[in-house]
Amino acid sequence: MSRRPGLSPALGFGLLAGAGVAVPVLTRDSYYLDVATTLLMNLVLTLSLRFEMSTGQLNMAHISFMGVGAYASVLLVTRAGWSFWASLAVAPLVAALVAVPVGRIALRVSGPYYFLITFAFLEVLRLFFNNFFVDYLGGPSGLAEIPRPHPLPLSGGAIGFTGKLPQYWLMYALFLVAAAVLIRLEYSRFGLVASAIRQRDLLAETLGVDIIRYKLGVFVLGSFFAGLTGVFFAHSHQVLHSSDFGLEPMVLLVVFTVIGGAQSVWGPVVGTLVLAVTSELLRELHHYEILVYGAVLMVVMLVCPEGLVSLPGRLAHALTRRRDAKARAVGARVAP
Amino acid sequence: MLLELRDVGKRFGGLHAVTGLSMTVASRTIHGLIGPNGAGKSTVFNLLTGVLPLSSGEIVFKGARVSGLRPSEICRRGIARTFQATTLFRESTVLENVILAFHLHAATAFVPTLIATATYREKERSARTRARALLASLRLLDVADQRAGNLPHRDQKALCLAMALATGAELVILDEPLAGLTAQESADTMALLRTLRAEGKTILLVEHDMRAVMGLCDVITVLDHGVLIAEGTPRDIQANPAVIEAYLGAEESRA
Repeated sequence: MSRRPGLSPALGFGLLAGAGVAVPVLTRDSYYLDVATTLLMNLVLTLSLRFEMSTGQLNMAHISFMGVGAYASVLLVTRAGWSFWASLAVAPLVAALVAVPVGRIALRVSGPYYFLITFAFLEVLRLFFNNFFVDYLGGPSGLAEIPRPHPLPLSGGAIGFTGKLPQYWLMYALFLVAAAVLIRLEYSRFGLVASAIRQRDLLAETLGVDIIRYKLGVFVLGSFFAGLTGVFFAHSHQVLHSSDFGLEPMVLLVVFTVIGGAQSVWGPVVGTLVLAVTSELLRELHHYEILVYGAVLMVVMLVCPEGLVSLPGRLAHALTRRRDAKARAVGARVAP
Repeated sequence: MLLELRDVGKRFGGLHAVTGLSMTVASRTIHGLIGPNGAGKSTVFNLLTGVLPLSSGEIVFKGARVSGLRPSEICRRGIARTFQATTLFRESTVLENVILAFHLHAATAFVPTLIATATYREKERSARTRARALLASLRLLDVADQRAGNLPHRDQKALCLAMALATGAELVILDEPLAGLTAQESADTMALLRTLRAEGKTILLVEHDMRAVMGLCDVITVLDHGVLIAEGTPRDIQANPAVIEAYLGAEESRA
């Protein structure tokens, strides 16, 4: 569909996929591979968060579903003795399954109430990870020594996942799947209906759109991808703590998404990339980093409230206006 | 009867917006609902389309009860509406607005949408073709790719109507379809509504332009303070003293 100006979906996806291949070609340094892997995780999280925001609501519990996926996978692998690969397929489904009742409750309300309900859920789940089933979830000291992804058996050998490079490729593959699905949906009928719900939910409803079902579907699918990221996170970091899924990382996801622009599917990509680079440049600042994020957020909201992706359009608009004004001024001088 | 309201009531706290309203709308008619400001006309529309829940009574459409259903389900059964304030997806293009209104007939399941199966692509193509045809019939094809929010008022009104029609509804409920239009634009819209009736649609409308209502409607129902005070042909209504008293104002009845 050519319904949106700007980047075509295939081109955008191609650029992202190409950039992902370029990273290990440019560097094998384990530090930079780590940074790039984290970046890909954040991209899946912000793309799926923005996907949920496309119906007009901000889910503050998005990162909780990453936690559900992470803890579920650790339990499946270490307690039930599953292979990592089976868990990679099932644990995100657990996150999606948990999202069904949560979404059913939260989606009864909208706007600030939805924000508050999901925020409450974020805290409840973090406390659950921290205080309940301590034997299984590790309690306040967290979980450690989580096994790495098991070697993937292939004909004539197996791929191991102990090094940074194979881990990067694994996350890259997960990212490609998530990005393909979410970008494709954005440019399909699905995305059109989501934008209709965001603009005027009552009108969408009187035109026959079952908006509750729709929003729930979006919520569950977004949670699935958060859960998928969680599985990778658990087995690549090898340690889990409830605070990984608390308010601070959640706020960062929102900041990435909003700075890039929540209106466009490319917004979270731009926001996440820009802030990843910024945070590398400001590495010496350590935890003052969040102050910088705050400042960047304020400036972006003042200069272009629709996010960095709206900048080219705004500039073009301003230039045409200036040219028109100049033409008018010239015309006025020429006129008798 | 296409539509039947049985003893319908709506209370907002202590305020009785609609009380004991029973009326019927016959198939293939243009039915006017009139009354002074605050008579409960818009409330009736909101009850009919499931936007507000009923306090009492029931609404039956094509022999089946529709009161208590969600707005999307009521639309599915064949009732579509426009809103009093022009209500559109303002950031979307005109064509997208109409495609969205075709949603019911063109929607595909999630997985076929995701992988763009042949069925999905075919449905998308057909929705676009039908949307373009509908826009052409309402003289909106030239602006099909503009943002709906940037259209002039007349075109926005026409687009609202196009969207209600795109749902394929048998009963189209129009809240002030002529408001803010010039005389010529009004005449065009009225001609269009008559054409729709001839094509088999049933139209229920609220309108303040009395000359238009009297010229256009087959049957008129008059509400005052949420109560039905008269019903009949335009001629009956014009001669009804209760209507003149309540609606046209006490001064006129004294005169």
